[in-house]
Amino acid sequence: MLNRIGTLFAESRDLTLDRLQNDSLIIEVAYISTLCDESKVSDFILVPFTKQEHPFEDLVKRNPSFKRLDDPAKWGDTLLHGFVLLQLNGMVYKLDAARIIRNENPQTMVETVIMGPQISLSEDLIDSINIVRSRYPSEELAVEERTVGTISKTRMLLVYDKHRVDATVLGLIRAKLERISDPFYTATGELVRSLGDRYRLFPSMMVTERPDRVCSAIEDGKVIVLLQGSMFAIILPSTFFDFLHAVDDDYDSFWMTRAMITLRYFAVVLTITLPALYVAIMSYNPELFRVQLTFSIAGSRSAVPYPSFVEVFIMLFMIESLIEASVRLPKYIGSTATTVGGLILGQAAQQAGLVSSIMIIVTSVVAISNFVIPVNNMSTAIRFLKYPLIVPAIFFGISGVTFGVFCYLVYLADLRSFGKPYFRIFGRRQSQSSDVGQVGR
Amino acid sequence: MSRYFFYNVILVSLLNLMLFVPYLLIQYRYKGAIMSMLCAAIVGTALALLFMHVMKTFPGKGLPEILRLFMPKPLTIPILIVCAVMWLTASSITMYAFSVLINRFFNPDTSSLVVLVFMCLVCMYAATRSTLTVIFVLEVGLIVCVPIIVFLLFKAFNSPMLDWDAIRTVSHYWNRGPQVKPFAASLFVFTGYMNFFMFNRLNSPNFRLRFRWGTPIFCSLILLTSFFIPIGFHGTEGAADYLYIWSVTSDTLIMSYGFIERVIFVFLLMYLMLSLIFAMIGWHMGMEMIKSCLPEKKEAIDPARTPRSNWVIVGLFAVLTVAYAYWFNEKENLKITSHWIVLRACVEIVSVLFVFVLSLFGSGKRKKLVSHENTSHNAASPDGA
Amino acid sequence: MKILRITLLALTALSFAATAGCGFRDIDKRFFVIAMGIDPADQGAKGYKITLRLAVPSPKVEPGAGNNQVVTMEATSIAEAVRLLKAHVDKEFDFGHCKLFAVGEKLARRDYTDILRWLTRRRDVQSIAYVAIGQPDAASILKVEPKSERYPGNTLFLMFGKDGTQSSYLVPVYLFDFIRRYREHGIDPVLPLIRADKDGYAITRLGVLNKSKLMETLTPGETETYSQIRNQDAKSTVAAVKNGNTMVINVDHIATHFKIANENGEYVLRLWLNVSGIFEEAPLGVYEEDWNQLEALFNQQIASEIKKLFKKMQQAAVDPFGFGLRYRATHPGTEQTWKDWQNLYPDLKFDIKVRVEIEGTGLVK
Repeated sequence: MLNRIGTLFAESRDLTLDRLQNDSLIIEVAYISTLCDESKVSDFILVPFTKQEHPFEDLVKRNPSFKRLDDPAKWGDTLLHGFVLLQLNGMVYKLDAARIIRNENPQTMVETVIMGPQISLSEDLIDSINIVRSRYPSEELAVEERTVGTISKTRMLLVYDKHRVDATVLGLIRAKLERISDPFYTATGELVRSLGDRYRLFPSMMVTERPDRVCSAIEDGKVIVLLQGSMFAIILPSTFFDFLHAVDDDYDSFWMTRAMITLRYFAVVLTITLPALYVAIMSYNPELFRVQLTFSIAGSRSAVPYPSFVEVFIMLFMIESLIEASVRLPKYIGSTATTVGGLILGQAAQQAGLVSSIMIIVTSVVAISNFVIPVNNMSTAIRFLKYPLIVPAIFFGISGVTFGVFCYLVYLADLRSFGKPYFRIFGRRQSQSSDVGQVGR
Repeated sequence: MSRYFFYNVILVSLLNLMLFVPYLLIQYRYKGAIMSMLCAAIVGTALALLFMHVMKTFPGKGLPEILRLFMPKPLTIPILIVCAVMWLTASSITMYAFSVLINRFFNPDTSSLVVLVFMCLVCMYAATRSTLTVIFVLEVGLIVCVPIIVFLLFKAFNSPMLDWDAIRTVSHYWNRGPQVKPFAASLFVFTGYMNFFMFNRLNSPNFRLRFRWGTPIFCSLILLTSFFIPIGFHGTEGAADYLYIWSVTSDTLIMSYGFIERVIFVFLLMYLMLSLIFAMIGWHMGMEMIKSCLPEKKEAIDPARTPRSNWVIVGLFAVLTVAYAYWFNEKENLKITSHWIVLRACVEIVSVLFVFVLSLFGSGKRKKLVSHENTSHNAASPDGA
Repeated sequence: MKILRITLLALTALSFAATAGCGFRDIDKRFFVIAMGIDPADQGAKGYKITLRLAVPSPKVEPGAGNNQVVTMEATSIAEAVRLLKAHVDKEFDFGHCKLFAVGEKLARRDYTDILRWLTRRRDVQSIAYVAIGQPDAASILKVEPKSERYPGNTLFLMFGKDGTQSSYLVPVYLFDFIRRYREHGIDPVLPLIRADKDGYAITRLGVLNKSKLMETLTPGETETYSQIRNQDAKSTVAAVKNGNTMVINVDHIATHFKIANENGEYVLRLWLNVSGIFEEAPLGVYEEDWNQLEALFNQQIASEIKKLFKKMQQAAVDPFGFGLRYRATHPGTEQTWKDWQNLYPDLKFDIKVRVEIEGTGLVK
């Protein structure tokens, strides 16, 4: 065995190959020392083998940690996943001794809530499953293991509730997972891309770090994908409305949370349409607003030397770079960028007559209402949507904006997330009375 | 779910403004409009009830499938094409009318033809989607637009400028005999149910339509509103002068505390949305009907990919619409519309009665149908649910 | 599929390119017309003298910051005058915010119908613009520049609109209402009269028009009565004189209704006016007096005033209250009804019943 493995990993210096002998037995041990916990190796193999308090052969047979591995072709993969291979009397056993470097008990960072679980999923699958199982103690919880990536062979778990899950959805997901053939997967985002249509404008799968969101999704009959090395889980299928639903909405005061949900929808509409509406109203239909408002807008724009859409692009460029900068910068200087950009530059640009003061308000409203969206991948998707809408606004004014919004509406309604309608109002409850379109399935 | 039925009813009844229904009615205000409206309400309700019976008899079947049960395919083709043309014209006239309105009120410097081309492109994209998508868009659109429109109508009723004397004056002319044109025009308000010629495909066998009494009440209210409110705002004489009577009427309302002071802009934007949805549904109906004439295998209701035939057929619709707008001016359009609306009423009455008669025969066939349904359902189940 | 998608996108892009540039005009490249004055041409020439008041927006919003520019042009038609005026300014006119159409008194007295040809057809003329008669002419109204304006034209908007002053002498008339009354059988148009008043406007009177010209002007008192009857204007007062002392009641609640009754072959218009309110001005001691007597006094004096107003309208052969329309609304719908009304209006009798209810005397007795 050792020779074979030695040739397989010809240039790996961290490969440890040992041949050990005690009074009665010769064993061969192979593992990659960097991937394994050496103390585990010595506790399970080296110490009992040399001490000889019990016959080592019995020990290996009795201890369920040692598993038989007969197929020599799997040796390489098994080693790479942090297993120790042990050859004893011509039989090969594997022992999980993986040592995974990860952050310990991370706090939620991306999707924070005030009241609710503060701990997030772990980068290690075992810990994540631990967190999920302890929150969803049901024998119906199924965990399927697979690997993805032809090179990375990243371990991946499908978690779902056997009873509640939709069989068609599960079938579709399995089929899709079979088909994907990218070499490398290090983050869930990559998996999301290869599972879905990468050109679509809206995310069809939710990426979350929150265990409570994961559990309520399982309870809704959805499928969770966990990836080794990423603390984010994928929830699928998801609908548009899930993305605008924060977990707080189930924890806080009923009326306020309903108000917040409504506010989020308004915010989405605002952040998408406002720049386009600005162009349309400035350049085509200034009679839309009441007189007083029009005159103050016209007054504030009177110093601006170029057309409204250039102004919009300048300001949007500024705000987008500001957001990008504050993501990229280390946390400690991040706020400086915001101050410099937001306060000083905005004020100066307006006083210099480069942009109108109304435009500054528009830009900030666009940015702020974009941050209201609770799930990050939806937030980024929506950030893009305002740009295509400016084009019809430039050519057709307010009616062009309406055309654009209508197109978005149709596009949204046309999306399916693993065969489930993405944008169907009142589609959440699983009604016993039949709904439209169910005959087709 | 019965709500989708009512969405169609609401959409079509609200959309009457775009098809010159109030204009035609007001032209006949001294010559029998009210009687015609009454007759249309009765006939429209009766037709709707008959059609509901048809829907119950043939659950999950669209018009082509129903016809196919009783006659060979070549015979169904002319019927389907006539129906498809009816829906196509309804949408195209709406779009043409709206492109003119946009040219009048929003973009006076852009030619209405260019706007129409753009509208056609948008609707082409929308109409080629699957039936399920179309009905979702309808739902969302109505949920967004209808509350605002109802608010505006409420405002109109509450406005101190509404002259009830003018309305009362016109209603004194109730005793004139009904006329064909205003009758046909008001019948349009009641025809929302006809979209279920195709949408019936979506209904499951245990579909039950509840609150069906709501249909005639709602439609009659809308009809009365769209006839009397303009008269209340523009007087018994002035109302007849305007071509786009409702746009002008909405301009008489003020939102004193809103960002937008003139109601007309809100009103037009809401109706633009509704018109696009209406055109989308109309084209989609027409497309599905023509597609069912083609020798093709049965389509899934919600196919994952848009079939190419969708694009070809709807592209043809778009070209026809633009050509229509190119060849005919506003005046001719109005004239054609007023004739078309009569023709449409005839087609509606004939086709619904025809399908109803078929459904009477069909009750015998129903057993066969149900057993057929079961076998096909069983065949489909392994890969399905 | 992909090719089709790309063609579709290309088509869209083409249609964009086809329309590029037309209609795109920034808000600062437009001159907002806030008021338009229409006078007859000078020296008896045919045509009109059009005066436009243009807003010059300023970035500062403070009292007195509203700047205006007034331009004038004479031409044979309104459309031509507007086109000619465009050659005199650097930005495009936008009538979308034109809130006031002032008709010169001379034109109104001669024949106002021609201006409606332009007003009804223009797409950007708001139906909810105000129409008024300018005294002595429209141009002088437009030239007034009130000192306190924050926005150009704001004084006018506030005076006519509901959110500024609410004077019972000012009866704002919307353009659509004016056109409706002009076209309707059974009601005649009214228009407020504006006078320039140093740095502001005075709008206290109402002009009553028939279907073609100004017939009669109402005094401020009559104007208030008009708006009480027609608009049930609760922001008004009623007054009566007793022993040379004027007593004024501030109206809290007002309700009127009228009907046309046939009594022994004679048509009588019955009007009920119910007013309740508290004293705003009265000699000390009204509290001790018999309120019933006071009310009777008010009833009688107000009724006679109203009757006088109605008679005045009847003599001028105009019907601003819409009695004719009410007659049509309550009688069978035939052509004959309208003809009957035209015959009977000159002999119509009036029976006015006023019921004033005193609710209190204010803070003192």
